[in-house]
Amino acid sequence: MTPSDITHTSDAMPVAAGRQSLVQRLAFSSEFGLVLLIALAVVIFASTLPGFTSPFSLFTIGRQIGIDTMIGLAMMAVIVTGGLDLSVGAIGVCSAMAFGWMMESAGVPLALGVPLAVLFGAGLGFLNGAIVVRSGVHSFIITLASMSIFFGVMIFLSQAQAFRTMPPEVLGFGKLRFGGLLSALLVFSLVVCAALSALYRFTSLGRQMLAAGANPRAAEISGVRTGRIFIACHMLTGALAAIAGLMITARTGAAVPSMAGHLGQDWLLPAFLAPVLGGTLLSGGRVAVFGTFLGAALVNIITSGLLLMRVGEFWVQAFLGLMLLAAVLTDRARHKLLQRRGMI
Amino acid sequence: MKKTTIHFALTAATLALTAGLAFAGSDTKVALVPGGPHPYFAAWEQAGLDAVKDFGIGAGDYRVPQKWELSQQSQLLESLLTQGYNSFLIFPGDAVGTSPVVQELVDNGGQALALAGCLKDPTPALFCMGTDTGNSAYLGTKELIKAMGGKGKIAHFTGFLVDPNTQLRIDAVQKAADETNGAVTVMQVIADIDAPQPAEEKINAFLAANAAGVDGIVTTAWVPAVTAANSLRKIGDKRIKMVGIDHDEVVIKAIKDGFVSGTMLQNPYGQGYIGSYVLDKLRSGCTIKADAPWKSNALTVKFVDSGTVYVDATQADTYVDAMRGISKTLLASMDKDFLACK
Repeated sequence: MTPSDITHTSDAMPVAAGRQSLVQRLAFSSEFGLVLLIALAVVIFASTLPGFTSPFSLFTIGRQIGIDTMIGLAMMAVIVTGGLDLSVGAIGVCSAMAFGWMMESAGVPLALGVPLAVLFGAGLGFLNGAIVVRSGVHSFIITLASMSIFFGVMIFLSQAQAFRTMPPEVLGFGKLRFGGLLSALLVFSLVVCAALSALYRFTSLGRQMLAAGANPRAAEISGVRTGRIFIACHMLTGALAAIAGLMITARTGAAVPSMAGHLGQDWLLPAFLAPVLGGTLLSGGRVAVFGTFLGAALVNIITSGLLLMRVGEFWVQAFLGLMLLAAVLTDRARHKLLQRRGMI
Repeated sequence: MKKTTIHFALTAATLALTAGLAFAGSDTKVALVPGGPHPYFAAWEQAGLDAVKDFGIGAGDYRVPQKWELSQQSQLLESLLTQGYNSFLIFPGDAVGTSPVVQELVDNGGQALALAGCLKDPTPALFCMGTDTGNSAYLGTKELIKAMGGKGKIAHFTGFLVDPNTQLRIDAVQKAADETNGAVTVMQVIADIDAPQPAEEKINAFLAANAAGVDGIVTTAWVPAVTAANSLRKIGDKRIKMVGIDHDEVVIKAIKDGFVSGTMLQNPYGQGYIGSYVLDKLRSGCTIKADAPWKSNALTVKFVDSGTVYVDATQADTYVDAMRGISKTLLASMDKDFLACK
């Protein structure tokens, strides 16, 4: 696959799909399956669980979908390269803590603090990307190490103390809802989805990211500087993880070191679930931006439904693990199917 | 039957008799939600069930977030409100970070108490009921210093740094040591070890390196207390004095066998039971008295001490009575001093 192959494709379907009919493309898209599953889950839960469709319930589910979408997008941005980033949680927390420090201790204005925190996340992503490219070691190992380093340094610098004095606008944004039920965080994540979709579909950088991920050697021959592109992918991951950290800060009104669990590991499951369910290929070269959104939506709707059904919280976690396993196996099957059909 | 089970049963029976009230058909649905899985909170489950039985509360369910993580707890609380729970007893995952979700619960018709740990004022929680952790750690350290003969070096093993109580405990232990004018020093504070693996790792490493240099150990979290008691038993060292916390059987047995000097008991059962009672009363039309005798701590000015008591070898078999007495007094005090009911 070359960069030009991808120029005219949707974000989820490479050029060969252009030869398929619209119906076939829809039927084979993971998004279509997800929409069906979401519709089915909503119908079942709405008809059996009183309260599921209450404005408060819809607001909180939507807010969590917004956050999980952002976490999923962060991982998706690096899965494009055929790699992964285990440090997304650590980057998100570090960025949120940096934001908290800027707000509480450094007196940085909010309008400046937000972009600086996102840049900080991108900077941590740059470190990951640069080391991966320079060393040639798989991103799994590099980010496993950086996860501990980032988190450890953050705990050392902050003494594990939360930053709790935030401008009221931060919490206000987390609580903001449209029409009584639509969370501003959800709307924001959809805006980011649209921007990312445009990046991959319409920009040279986005197409180069896909090309470098699909076949680095071919991309290199075609003039793509894959090293720089991979670093850019890691930076994008860092920036998106930082945004996710800021969204959680907006939700809680505080930057808390434990917001993503120990070493930021609590983000790993949603980070992989959403993009893999959504149709992003783990082997790289293919993204599904809105699929990631739909994946996050499906996971959260089912999680909320199970909680409302009073399925034990620990069983919910086990269910999510099963879901990831199923998604990975489906990913493998889809990959083979697409190969057989000459679509990748 | 386990001693703790007998403890709960006897305490519940006594408290029910003391309350002397039977409520029928209450629509109060209480959810008791800790910050995450931890043995300290296990007593809340029985407390909720007993409160349902004794006071006729609609529900008193113990619901544990799957991880010790603020977002997980917030998500669970939101779900519980949707499920129809209207009264919440919450151990805050964060002293400030939990407030927004509690505010949402209140905005949507719920009511909440902070239990076992406080939210930082201003807070939508009605009040905070828990151990006066600073005072408990202070008193425990004073007992340790007494056991050490008033001089020596102590180590302090404590809980999660994200727990709002941890810093209060660290400060209190230091304060007790400072009052000896240098005769007692805190040689090391090891925090964030209220889980089996880090507790085993760090306490054993500490003792391997410093057993000869340390004279006393004070623990202010459940798991470190159990681990340190086990470690002292393993190395067979009765020279090092130790004061633990809570009523795990390992600690109580170590007290009886002389490896631990004593333990500072807390009252998790009483917190859950009395907290459920208070929330039901408030939903039934009672109000909180304006002149209620609140205590205050570093986080809030509306604090109710759920009680703490030092237990040594002489009381190791009768500590249940001590806790029962504290709970009984507190329940009576709620009716008399804190609640105004028509």
